[in-house]
Amino acid sequence: MNLTALEPQALEIIKRYDEPRAAMLPLLWLVQTNVGHIPSEAECWVGGLLGVALSHVREVVSFYSMFRTREAGRHELRVCTSLPCMLRGAGDVLAQIEERLHIRPRETTPDGELTLTEVECLCACEIAPAGQLDEQFVGPLDRATIDAIEGDAVAPYTGSARIDEAHPFVSTDGPVISTRFRNTGGTWWDAYIADGGYVAARKALSSMTSSQIVDEVSKANLRGLGGAGFPTGRKWSFIPKASLKPRYLVVNADEGEPGTFKDRYILERDPHALLEGMIIAAYAIGSHKAYVYIRGEYFRPAERFARAVAEAYERGWLGKNIQGRGFDLDVVIHRGAGAYICGEETALLTSIEGGKGFPKLKPPFPAISGLFQCPTIVNNVETLACVPFILREGADRFAALGTPKQGGTRLFSLCGRVNRPGLYEAPVGITLRELIDRHAQGVRRGHTLKAVIPGGISAKVLTAEEIDVAMDFDSLQAAGTMAGSGGVIVMDDSASMIEALQSAAKFFAHESCGQCSPCREGTGWIHRIMRRIARGEGRLHDLDDLLAIARAMEGKTICVFADAAAWPVQSYITKFRAEFEEHITTRRGAETTHVDEARACPP
Amino acid sequence: MPTLTIDGRQIDSPDGSTVIQAAETLGIFIPRYCYHPGLSIAGNCRICLIEVEKNPKLQIACNTPVADGMVVHTSSVKADEGRRAVLEFLLANHPLDCPVCDQSGECDLQNFYMNFGLYDPRFREQKIKKKKAVAVGPHVMLDQERCILCSRCVRFTDEISKTGEFGIFNRGDRAEVGLYPGQQLDNPYSGNVVDICPVGALTDRDFRFKARVWYLSSAPTVCNGCAQGCNVDVHYVLDRPHLNDGARILRVKPRYNADVNQWWMCDEGRYGFGWIDKGRLTKVRRQGAGATWEQAVAGITEELTKVGERDPERGTCLRLGVIASPQLTNEELFLIREIFQRALGARVTASVPMPAGNSDNFLIRADKNPNTHGAALIGLTDATAPDAAAIVAETLEGQLDALWVFGYDLTKLVADEDLQRLSRSLRLFVFSGTNDNPTAGCSHWALPTAAYLEKEGTFVNAHGRVQRIGRAFPPLSDSREDWRVLLEIAGRLNLGFAWRSPEEIFQALARSVTPFAGLTYERIGLHGASLMTDASVAEVAVT
Repeated sequence: MNLTALEPQALEIIKRYDEPRAAMLPLLWLVQTNVGHIPSEAECWVGGLLGVALSHVREVVSFYSMFRTREAGRHELRVCTSLPCMLRGAGDVLAQIEERLHIRPRETTPDGELTLTEVECLCACEIAPAGQLDEQFVGPLDRATIDAIEGDAVAPYTGSARIDEAHPFVSTDGPVISTRFRNTGGTWWDAYIADGGYVAARKALSSMTSSQIVDEVSKANLRGLGGAGFPTGRKWSFIPKASLKPRYLVVNADEGEPGTFKDRYILERDPHALLEGMIIAAYAIGSHKAYVYIRGEYFRPAERFARAVAEAYERGWLGKNIQGRGFDLDVVIHRGAGAYICGEETALLTSIEGGKGFPKLKPPFPAISGLFQCPTIVNNVETLACVPFILREGADRFAALGTPKQGGTRLFSLCGRVNRPGLYEAPVGITLRELIDRHAQGVRRGHTLKAVIPGGISAKVLTAEEIDVAMDFDSLQAAGTMAGSGGVIVMDDSASMIEALQSAAKFFAHESCGQCSPCREGTGWIHRIMRRIARGEGRLHDLDDLLAIARAMEGKTICVFADAAAWPVQSYITKFRAEFEEHITTRRGAETTHVDEARACPP
Repeated sequence: MPTLTIDGRQIDSPDGSTVIQAAETLGIFIPRYCYHPGLSIAGNCRICLIEVEKNPKLQIACNTPVADGMVVHTSSVKADEGRRAVLEFLLANHPLDCPVCDQSGECDLQNFYMNFGLYDPRFREQKIKKKKAVAVGPHVMLDQERCILCSRCVRFTDEISKTGEFGIFNRGDRAEVGLYPGQQLDNPYSGNVVDICPVGALTDRDFRFKARVWYLSSAPTVCNGCAQGCNVDVHYVLDRPHLNDGARILRVKPRYNADVNQWWMCDEGRYGFGWIDKGRLTKVRRQGAGATWEQAVAGITEELTKVGERDPERGTCLRLGVIASPQLTNEELFLIREIFQRALGARVTASVPMPAGNSDNFLIRADKNPNTHGAALIGLTDATAPDAAAIVAETLEGQLDALWVFGYDLTKLVADEDLQRLSRSLRLFVFSGTNDNPTAGCSHWALPTAAYLEKEGTFVNAHGRVQRIGRAFPPLSDSREDWRVLLEIAGRLNLGFAWRSPEEIFQALARSVTPFAGLTYERIGLHGASLMTDASVAEVAVT
């Protein structure tokens, strides 16, 4: 291993960042990409280059699940067993793979070709059960795809993958975000310009003031589409006007909420829409540097976005004096490394700064003191991708698409036990029933709808009777759940709520950052109880214990992860208590494993 | 300055201060694990939950800035419930191995469970297994299972020792505190992490399993390891000799002093107390044979009365040399000056050669004596005065007839044969000190004296701060405090000193040595006082 040979690249990377330590993740990626893993001497090398104590380098390496300190196979197959994939047979698929390769997760085939890893949500739920072979998503995983994986990965690698790319349903007719999604290979410069690209940005830079843009975005009722639903215009207005510190625009492309895959499509098929939205946002808040945090598993999305960034630099839409308007903006693409919590805006900032993905204490809030202690606005990919439309077509038109308090459309990710999983753009006021029945074509014949999680795994579950609810933030909140990330996970009558909750609990226990004690201990505790119940060793009072633990976790931590982990527990047990009690008293979990449950699902 | 109400009581608290600080000012204790006033705010343990009116969620007192009109409840039903919940989470995976844990009795998991917990435990799952009894360095033992991941130790090695050894690895409930594989916690301040660890995760290897903490007595004093004068508490046991091979001191802990050492002390000082219980002089010896204090005082005084008289044989005056020590208290040095220098006209010095030790720009001083500054103020290290080497040289040249050495080992200056020759040539050769050494062996009179923990007195540190050393326990065996021995000699010499205690001696000193003017034991108190500047001396004179 020759780390010295990587040094020029490393120094190049460090230069991109405002503080050396922020180059931590990219340098670790540099090592892992070149060496295959991160050996001890590389930790020393990175620590030395960045002036960070070895213990803190190791903290980071051990925090992110994609980093490995030991040698692995030439290829890695990641198999997702999160709820959306579990509902479509991931348990069975993993068992089949284990049987065929004769290895268990975290093991490598004896010939050193393939390492098998069981992972939490890859955000490829539209092709569930999903996997990822090195950088390529594969799914739905079935006998044929597993054959192909074996061919590609275990047989001598020829360089050309034999895995076919899946083509799930994806909206292509807009009106706001999906208009260019028919370009499966990506929408590049000429096509984007031909389609009215950068008109909005030009308008902003040439004829609008910062506050006019903020007003326009506020008038459009654009809300944060990462999940929190905070009014975007208002968020931008929090940047202190008088501050002399640099300001940062940070794009949250760390899509990770189980059941959600919308941002990936924007990055892959219409990256300039995001970039144009970023230029407008940066101009509005007076930022000259934007960081785009793309989750580690999104290899192709990151490549495609990087290509758009390169195009924009070439055409004078990034860099110094953009379009001669005297406005500068640089973009740094920062890659995550496998940690759901980094989607939390302050954890994302800590992660960019080169630390573990620990959410920050508030106050201070990021708009006052965020990235590198400077005023920072963090926006989701989809949110920013809506901005060019608003400036081009008018705030009123955008607002009119939605409800009185939330404008526009949303990309709804539909997954789980529906006939047509996929990505659907629809006005935010659409009902959940319409989304499921009309768009995703309902649950399979012979089955009935049982439960729906409307906004990613953290949202409280709705029963089949509760789906006549509009999908905007306020309506779902009034219905006792949340719109969240727009990830709709559907369960039919063959789904077990016990297995579903166990899967959710597994996710939260795996992804808790471990900073606050109620979350760190509570998520693990809930998971262990749920595992025991699923095994058929539950006791009736476990249910009350679970509710008490969930209640005790709520509202006591730095970020809302603990609340998100508590909500499924509360809603599943409260709404499906009879099923839990029956499972416990009849101990049927002893005979039925999640593998059997999942196998009952259509491919 | 914002005015807020905490538990019904109003307080003005400075801008930028937090509720936990404001509450402390009111004497309201809010439990804490991760919060430590000497470290940055982590806000991760969540035990300091409080209810702030008009805020639907409980807030953490350590990171809630005070605000005007804020109304805080530290023990409302909601706050109590929240705190109890946090405690149950913290104890979920805790091994509850208190019977074999050194922290037991001073553990904040135990304390807060009794004060804020008292719930019926519900955790019935398998606890997570982590590493136990890992020696992470020469002084510190780590138990990962007991750790509650408050990150105080991590912040200490990042922010205070700036050595960065600790980290918290992995995430979720697999998170564990540790060091990078192969590294050691061997920085000069490593012992402090044991003090700040609120639970039994980091324990002291030196103290480990020696005694249950509830058997310990504590006395405030000042470390004598160097000129910094860190404030410390000495923890000792007198009535359970079986616990520690008869040694009385079990450990030394830093005592908070904002102006000297804050919450910290160095390992050298912390673990450098062995000499107090080992290798001590315990009996008065005359030419190597046992003797009593009465014989010693009488015998020595008899010789001293001849100082200054004419020696009929040699036709010269009998002359005395005294090598005092910057290890002695101001009171003792003052007596030495009064008796030997002023009354007997002796050649007196407290300048003893000592190789410069290690130092840093935090707490560790190169001068390993606690009272060099005091000795200088009292005039025993003047440039005009001889140093120890000069006095020894004068003795060897026969210019001195009597010599009193306080604690110092002359073999650091002269060869063994010279020391023997010196002993033979002297009419009187007194050694007084705490521990045995070759000089004691060669002296005519070897007097066992008290260690600094066994006597009252004051030191002046390198920054000119006068600090009391207190008295933890009586002098070992037959040893006596130097000041007491000196007062007895003075009495026999009829010098007319009326002082009977270090405090009275100090009053005389304060009257006589200007920089001490106006100071009293009361004024010095537990945290010391700065020496008088010229201006403040004048002020005291007026009042």
